[in-house]
Amino acid sequence: MSDLSAFSLQGITKEFPGVRALEDASLKVRPGEVHGLVGENGAGKSTVIKVLAGIYRPEAGNITIGTQTLSPATPESVHAAGVRFIHQELHLVPHFTITESVFLGQERVGRFGLDTAGMRADAEAFLRDMLGVTLPGNRLIRDLGTAERKLVQIARALIDGAAKVVVFDEPTAPLASDEVDTVMRAIRRLKEQGIAILYVSHYLSEITDICDRVTVFRQGKTVGVFDDITDASGSDLVYAMVGRDIADMFPKKGTRQTGTGFAIDGLSDGKTFEGISISVGKGEILGIAGLIGSGREELIDTIYGLTKAGSGSFTFEGQPLQIKSAAQAVRAGIVLVPRDRRHDGLVLPMTVAENTTLATLERNATFGLENRRAVSNSTEAQIKALDIRPPNPNAVTRLLSGGNQQKVVLARWMAKSARVFIFDEPTVGVDVGAKAEIYQLIEDLAAGGACVIVSSSDPVELQGVCDRIAVMMRGAIIAELPTEGLSVDTLVAATTGAVDARELADAS
Amino acid sequence: MQADPTRKRGVTDLVGSLPLIIFACVLIYISFNAPNFLTLRNLELILMQSLPVVLVCAGLGAVVMAGGDDVVSGGIDLSIPATAVLSAGITAVMLSQGWPLAICAGVALLACLSVGLLNAALVTRIGMTPLLTTLAMFVAVVGVNNVITSSRRIDVDHPWIVALRAQEIAGVPLGIIAVALVVAAIYFALHRTRWGLNLQAAGGSRDAAEISGLPVSRLFGQSFVLASGTGYICGFFVLARGSGSSPGVQDNLMLEMVLATFLGAAFSTRRVVTMWGAVLGAVLVAAISIGFKSIGVNVFWTGLIKGSLIVIVVALSALAQRGR
Repeated sequence: MSDLSAFSLQGITKEFPGVRALEDASLKVRPGEVHGLVGENGAGKSTVIKVLAGIYRPEAGNITIGTQTLSPATPESVHAAGVRFIHQELHLVPHFTITESVFLGQERVGRFGLDTAGMRADAEAFLRDMLGVTLPGNRLIRDLGTAERKLVQIARALIDGAAKVVVFDEPTAPLASDEVDTVMRAIRRLKEQGIAILYVSHYLSEITDICDRVTVFRQGKTVGVFDDITDASGSDLVYAMVGRDIADMFPKKGTRQTGTGFAIDGLSDGKTFEGISISVGKGEILGIAGLIGSGREELIDTIYGLTKAGSGSFTFEGQPLQIKSAAQAVRAGIVLVPRDRRHDGLVLPMTVAENTTLATLERNATFGLENRRAVSNSTEAQIKALDIRPPNPNAVTRLLSGGNQQKVVLARWMAKSARVFIFDEPTVGVDVGAKAEIYQLIEDLAAGGACVIVSSSDPVELQGVCDRIAVMMRGAIIAELPTEGLSVDTLVAATTGAVDARELADAS
Repeated sequence: MQADPTRKRGVTDLVGSLPLIIFACVLIYISFNAPNFLTLRNLELILMQSLPVVLVCAGLGAVVMAGGDDVVSGGIDLSIPATAVLSAGITAVMLSQGWPLAICAGVALLACLSVGLLNAALVTRIGMTPLLTTLAMFVAVVGVNNVITSSRRIDVDHPWIVALRAQEIAGVPLGIIAVALVVAAIYFALHRTRWGLNLQAAGGSRDAAEISGLPVSRLFGQSFVLASGTGYICGFFVLARGSGSSPGVQDNLMLEMVLATFLGAAFSTRRVVTMWGAVLGAVLVAAISIGFKSIGVNVFWTGLIKGSLIVIVVALSALAQRGR
């Protein structure tokens, strides 16, 4: 029996220029089981899904679905073999009805045009019998909750009745916690009908809750297959995911004086997070951890005034601050090194000097005209201080490496003598050597008395750089953990909900 | 956590139907001041007058449905009125040179469809914004038409064209019946076939349509060709209404087309541009134009009033969109 598989990927190797995304990876899912797939960002989960979907063609390996081996697998042949994908994004037409959305691209035609009545009856019956919700087929998508939209998306993939394997990619990421149950119930019902399910998620609590077996990926390899998943399996999974080889690239944390600095009280945006209160002292580095969908990115945008806060207040050294726009934030001395610096942080066709002095033009200008010499002098000083390579103020920013681009963003804000630095994913797309330099810079800023906030999806980075880490989940801060004595495993466990973070905080 | 969704919906609905309320008020005001306005005779006149606008609105409706109703980045085709006068111009010139109507109509059809295909190629292949592309196309096509007609009036008295204006079948003007049939055919194609529903999906959410495997660009391109087709047919009604081709018709046609199509969204329960909405909008706009004339509003003021109405209608549609 155990040799039977709904689908299996064996010995898959997939290379991209310069990177081996998958190396001899395998994944086997049995009929009628819910199989979890976990791994950190970059572990190869999405690559393996795209290999299964026939989007990527692997360099080596076999793809078997049911009893047929597909070589090569194409999106059409995979679909014909009964594999369906539920994408993370909810792509639906807002002003379409449930019926129209379920049958989008696979409409049925009767004698007088579309068979609306028949399609509606089938869509309603499918949602009721297979997914366990009663919804009128003529309701518009924009009047549905997020969980209901997810179910419509699932119904669209499965309505033809030919599905044997369903791949869920982060199905609960956009959902609030009470909505998760609705989707979980639907997945259980699908399993009862003998459909094999591959469940990909960052939320380990969901994985241990719903999965029968779990495969763990790390750095493109299958590092473990767990057969008996119970609620207690979370820590084993984390151990397998994180591994033990963390390079020693973090600076020594200096001892610093911390004073009252920047504080946020009761901040809400009315949608993605609520009641956030954090404070970061002068000379302190506060980390913010949280999965995609935890409200972390939205929180950072709101602190910087990019999106409007619904309620809440900001203070610096006890004095209230008004932050309604990014310009106000900068004037208050709060600066952001954005996550997508290529789009948000830099004017790429401009030179290093021009980028560095964008925020301080008024200082380098005489009667409104730019003083080129002053610009050049201040830039050269910054280039030296930050070790930007090449050390040429007239180099075009686009041609710099990721790490050096990051330094240019920093140089601009340092020229502005900011007091609060917010780093959003500071090392995404940055090579290992530059990473260490950026960590050193962050450490230096704090040592110089600045308040630093680092928001990151990399637990190793947070543990290594920060003094304290606030963990966000589903729009709230569920714990604040001091990093001293905190293991990366514990942090990942708290971020993914594998352990109750409140208990952790109490214990430490 | 959020504002009460039903109340928010209520406000959005109110904003969505405001254009209709404004129009209703204007019409009521007119009917009080022009006693003959609400007679059957006058309603027939309004319908006859609205026929060219109805046709181009049906075309624009299709493009907006396929490209999305964002006025700046979504689907829009401003060149349809120019296509209509091109169709009228070619037919008028060739008729005056003694060619049979079938040949004239055939040449005009080729010219109009190539405008539609060119629009489609520029927007979907090269990726230009529909607003700018079709505005440029409008200017260019009007220019071509000016060359063809030497920018002068050409009378047309071909019996078939005259019939569109004067012939009646069982008491109903032939023109109204013909346009009703064309509109019914386009309605069926857009709202009752797989193709039409897919086209609406492409405009409703490009991502959703693409992920469902729909050929979004091709559908969008096809809507431009359909639109040029409605412009082509409209050309004959322009000839019939004006007893020939005369320069300058396109400007008013364009104004009324944009106004009517976006006004039409207020008729739809989903608050989106639909075929019926666009057609009803066209009739309403014709009613207002005739109404203004019958209460003696200065022609120069009519332009200002129509312009303001466009701004209000489009602004309200943007507001209603933000609310959802």
